[in-house]
Amino acid sequence: MSMSPRNYGLMEMSAVKEVANIGLGHATTALSELTGHSFNMDIPEVEAVALEKIPETIGDAMELFAGVYMPFEGDVEGHMAFVFPWPSAVQLWTWLLGSAPDGPEAVDELAASAMLEVGNILNSNFLNAISNMTNLSMHATPPLVSIDLGYSMVASIVANAEMQDVVALAVETRIFDLPTGATTGYFLCIPTRAGLDLILSRLGVLEVA
Amino acid sequence: MATAQQLMVGMADIKTAKSGATFTCLGLGSCIGLAAFDRESGVAGMIHIMLPEAFKDKPVEKAGKFADTGIVAMLDEMFRLGANPSRLVMAYAGGAQVFKFGNPSSTTLDVGLRNSAAVEKILKAKGFRVLGIDIGGPNGRTVTYEQATGIIKVRTVNGGEKVLCNLKG
Repeated sequence: MSMSPRNYGLMEMSAVKEVANIGLGHATTALSELTGHSFNMDIPEVEAVALEKIPETIGDAMELFAGVYMPFEGDVEGHMAFVFPWPSAVQLWTWLLGSAPDGPEAVDELAASAMLEVGNILNSNFLNAISNMTNLSMHATPPLVSIDLGYSMVASIVANAEMQDVVALAVETRIFDLPTGATTGYFLCIPTRAGLDLILSRLGVLEVA
Repeated sequence: MATAQQLMVGMADIKTAKSGATFTCLGLGSCIGLAAFDRESGVAGMIHIMLPEAFKDKPVEKAGKFADTGIVAMLDEMFRLGANPSRLVMAYAGGAQVFKFGNPSSTTLDVGLRNSAAVEKILKAKGFRVLGIDIGGPNGRTVTYEQATGIIKVRTVNGGEKVLCNLKG
């Protein structure tokens, strides 16, 4: 069976946003519990045309970020990441460890593993929520951490996703702490085309090609 | 003297100029920034390559995204500006693996390595002189190429800035 080149319709796109919204609700709740500070999120956006534009959409992408990248496997496969501007990463480290590295070259195993843990918790809560809703298996592979320009890391994730899988779109949104909004992060998820079709058909919204 | 024209070369972009441009590839992770120059006509170009080769089963929407289609497209543009493709000199940087902490599973491809190999193969096959290469490693790069001086600089988050080479010789 060949892969249909058709784009997703409006109903499918809004279902994608809704599914991401539910997954992210669980993820931000978990981050709030981990850090002891409330988190909220913007409504997810979907980029379905030019994935090479995504690195430009994550805030000030030319600044230093700390990011955690987690491919996922199972019935539904794909790529997901949370990336934090450096000052927000410093805040997360301070909440979790009581102190933070002075600069990118000072990120040691402890700081890196704290970021891996943040990734694990966000990731597993996001995937579990969607998995429970659709009865499809989705499980994380070990997370990877980068300390670099936001553009470098997000571009690398998009390239990896496009190289490895047939992908149709990316879901992205911003998360932020309450009440200050000073600690922000950006969420990115690029499911495989086949995995996304499976989710949409389970939800009964996959339009016939 | 006109002031230098700043050309941002975003992912999958191809930029070319007859003279006076400063090209910048910001935030190269696994991507590759490739600069080319014709010393006789002065025409220069730069491309921000994302993947090694175009997918066989998908239409190419942006030639600059792939090494195979992108390098050819950049040469065409430079040719139209008066460059002679047979006498171009080149340099490239990028192809890093920026996710350096954690244990990558076997399914995580090293796209940077593949991009580097693809660019090397294409340039070798076409017989271009390559004056500078800075690829691989764990750090992303920002590459600037000043057409007037020929100087290519590479900056990383940890390592500061260094001169890679001079395309004017």
